[in-house]
Amino acid sequence: MDWLPIFLSLKLAAVTTTLLLAIGLPLAYWLSKGGGIFKVTLEALITVPLVLPPSVLGFYLLLAFSPQHGLGGWLQRVFHLSFVFSFQGLVLASVIYSLPFMIGPIKSALQQLPANLAQASYTLGKTERQTFIHVLLPNIKASVFTAMIMTFAHTLGEFGVVLMIGGNIPGITKVASIAVYDSVEGMDYRTANHYSLLLFGITFIMVATMFIINRRNAKSPLE
Amino acid sequence: MPHRIFQCGIFVSVDVSLFSVAPHQSISMNNKKLFISLILVVFAAIAQAQTIRVAAAANLQSVIKVLQADFTKRTGVKVDAVTGSSGNLVAQINNGAPFDVFLSADMDFPQKLKRSGQSDKDPVVYAMGSLVICSKENINLKNWQKLIVTDAVTKVAIANPKIAPYGKAAEESLQKAGLLEQVRAKAVYGESISQVNTYITTGVVTVGFTTQSLVRDPANATKLYWQAISPKTYAPIEQGMVVLKHATDAGNTAAANRFYQYMLSSAAKSILKKYGYIVP
Repeated sequence: MDWLPIFLSLKLAAVTTTLLLAIGLPLAYWLSKGGGIFKVTLEALITVPLVLPPSVLGFYLLLAFSPQHGLGGWLQRVFHLSFVFSFQGLVLASVIYSLPFMIGPIKSALQQLPANLAQASYTLGKTERQTFIHVLLPNIKASVFTAMIMTFAHTLGEFGVVLMIGGNIPGITKVASIAVYDSVEGMDYRTANHYSLLLFGITFIMVATMFIINRRNAKSPLE
Repeated sequence: MPHRIFQCGIFVSVDVSLFSVAPHQSISMNNKKLFISLILVVFAAIAQAQTIRVAAAANLQSVIKVLQADFTKRTGVKVDAVTGSSGNLVAQINNGAPFDVFLSADMDFPQKLKRSGQSDKDPVVYAMGSLVICSKENINLKNWQKLIVTDAVTKVAIANPKIAPYGKAAEESLQKAGLLEQVRAKAVYGESISQVNTYITTGVVTVGFTTQSLVRDPANATKLYWQAISPKTYAPIEQGMVVLKHATDAGNTAAANRFYQYMLSSAAKSILKKYGYIVP
């Protein structure tokens, strides 16, 4: 069995989770404070990938980043950057696709914290940023961890978008889920079985870990 | 077809029970139910028109629609066609997918079906495919061997050579030209020839190796620039077909055999020719 697709999947999941943590924490904090119609729209937009067929995203990414069209052509000419058939393309798709898995748990944990926690911190002269990092964040550790695991596992499970914009290039876009599909199509069921068992094992352990951590905190991991 | 008559029976009995459990309901409600039951009966009648299911290799995607319509016009038998890569379709058939006829993109896959007992006859060639190099950009592909290694070509789409015969042919041709290693560095692999076609027509790749039927398809609105690959550089893409065991099980043998005969008739051949296939 070729280990490259497994490593590639893990790398994609790690990069996506890191990026989403950086984007997700401030975004979830901002969204948790409530707001007008703009915020609601944005939140709906962020959550849509949860139910959107991956082929829809794949189709639009394919059109948007085709070197024949405006944006894709410009990126290619000016930055030599391509988001189709490339690893960064998969990262971009995964970030969009896994965004709700990062935002959801963090935002709802922040909203469930008692308001006087932050108020006490402000009274003691701490800034909003200090309060967020030193007071709020330590109190939602379990939820942040849940969000990270969900994001990581969900990225491992990504298939539809990668199938459409990946191009099945070994070492670049041929991730484990694609390798399974590829070996099934080639009727190499042995290899398909190896990849599948491994993926099942990894994702099961991740989800089980998440449940164990949340049990200690007596909270449903999907909140 | 006893099972279809049985289907009708179910519809009727459902209607009777609907009426009988609600005798007190208003006339308009009953009218609505009558209407619904009529629709169900109509559906049942439609289901009784004979239909065969054909699994067709992805390169036939456009021509199969024309063949389907022509066959139905001649025989009254409806054809449901499902297209996909030959490898994928064979995997489905081996796992019990209900297809009556299989039109492959090569001879190996139908042979495999014979070996696994899904068919009892050897495959027959119904067409030979021809490979083209194709682009959405207005570039001269006459000397594609020179062009393909330059920076003007950033990505090259090839169908997965393990499962798609057109991909295999493309790699053979590149190998013969001594370009395979260089081109592999820019290759993207479509899971079937139809994904390669998508990559070409959306312009995400500079060039792609595909079937001539893409550029011959009158329904294709994208202007494409293409050049046939010399048939001497790759083994002939003999496309074979077989009638499947499922046809017998479903009582579709006669209709499936008619389709099989039709595919070898001059009428089908002239349609295939129009789409760039070489016919035996």
